Amino acid sequence: MPQDYILARLLSNNAQWAEDVDRAEPGFFAETAKGQAPKVLYIGCADSRVPESVVTASKPGDIFVHRNIANQFHLNDDSALSVLTYAVAHVGVQHVILVGHTNCGGAAACHAAARKPPSAEPPADPLTRWLAPLTEIAREHEDLTDLVEANVRAQVTNIAAADVMAAAWAAGKDVQVHGWVYELETGRMRDLGVSVGKAGPV
Amino acid sequence: MSSRQVLYIGCSDWRVPESAVSTMLPGGIFVHRNIANQFHLDDDNALSVLAYAVEHLKVSHIIVAGHTLCGGAEAALAAAHASCPPPPPSGPLARWLVPLTEIAREYEDLTELIEANVRAQVNNVAGTDVVRAAWADNKRKLQVHGWIYDLGTGRFRDMGISVDGPSKDDVL
Repeated sequence: MPQDYILARLLSNNAQWAEDVDRAEPGFFAETAKGQAPKVLYIGCADSRVPESVVTASKPGDIFVHRNIANQFHLNDDSALSVLTYAVAHVGVQHVILVGHTNCGGAAACHAAARKPPSAEPPADPLTRWLAPLTEIAREHEDLTDLVEANVRAQVTNIAAADVMAAAWAAGKDVQVHGWVYELETGRMRDLGVSVGKAGPV
Repeated sequence: MSSRQVLYIGCSDWRVPESAVSTMLPGGIFVHRNIANQFHLDDDNALSVLAYAVEHLKVSHIIVAGHTLCGGAEAALAAAHASCPPPPPSGPLARWLVPLTEIAREYEDLTELIEANVRAQVNNVAGTDVVRAAWADNKRKLQVHGWIYDLGTGRFRDMGISVDGPSKDDVL
């Protein structure tokens, strides 16, 4: 099929980026491929306005990443659990950072859904099912920023309750879980101060 | 041009820097990343990202991107060719890699497996109700692409397996 203009631009921008990186830091790619283990697992939203290496001030190669709708960590979700397991038990990250953000479309959708009468039927489509836990949280929060923060706190609690975290802490690994909110309006990252480590709240 | 015209589904691997992806378009790209860039048809996590991207953001391109030296693919290859039959998967990581391990039974070479993986995930995405519904709308353009990121060079390569409609072999 003829290559769309958008795709051509994506690939040419990527080529330019690769060239710029190589010029600024010769050997970067070969070095990164061998790769030191990252110290951070970042779990954030799929939203394009929250680029993880910028908001965590990380160099390329520093962070292991999972991104989904509304930065969720559900304890029955193999996708997020497998990333956490690999990061904590195999790679040995020192920090798991759960990052929410203002103007989150997923949070806004849940806020609206929570203000309608609850449906008698269980959700039938993946997106509604995915947002069901956050919709429950949204019933308790009128203010959208409060909801974004409550969401982050809830996901940090979920991560801290995962088997792989309990096992890591029991083995004495000093891995910490943090909850942050990225403010799109200011570019500022705010630590909610809800960090948890092997000895409990940090 | 809307900055949200593209959904990128890639691997969580730290050696595929987000900047490689986000510099592709100003304003960034909608991103889903998991172990070994999977798209399982029973995975609400990936399915919800796809639904949001296609139905709400109205993306016109979906890129499934694998990469060289993928640890998930290496693990699947080892599991597929282990001399003893593996125990049933216990734990989320082992469960997560079951479909990729099935694919890996047909391959000896890691690079070939990585490419086969991308082809399989592109097929999975193309088989979803969400994508088929978008294709059924004549006013809508949506393409699904398979790419490979080369860790050694920082370059993405288009595998040339793009689909923009249901296969003519499909019975709908």
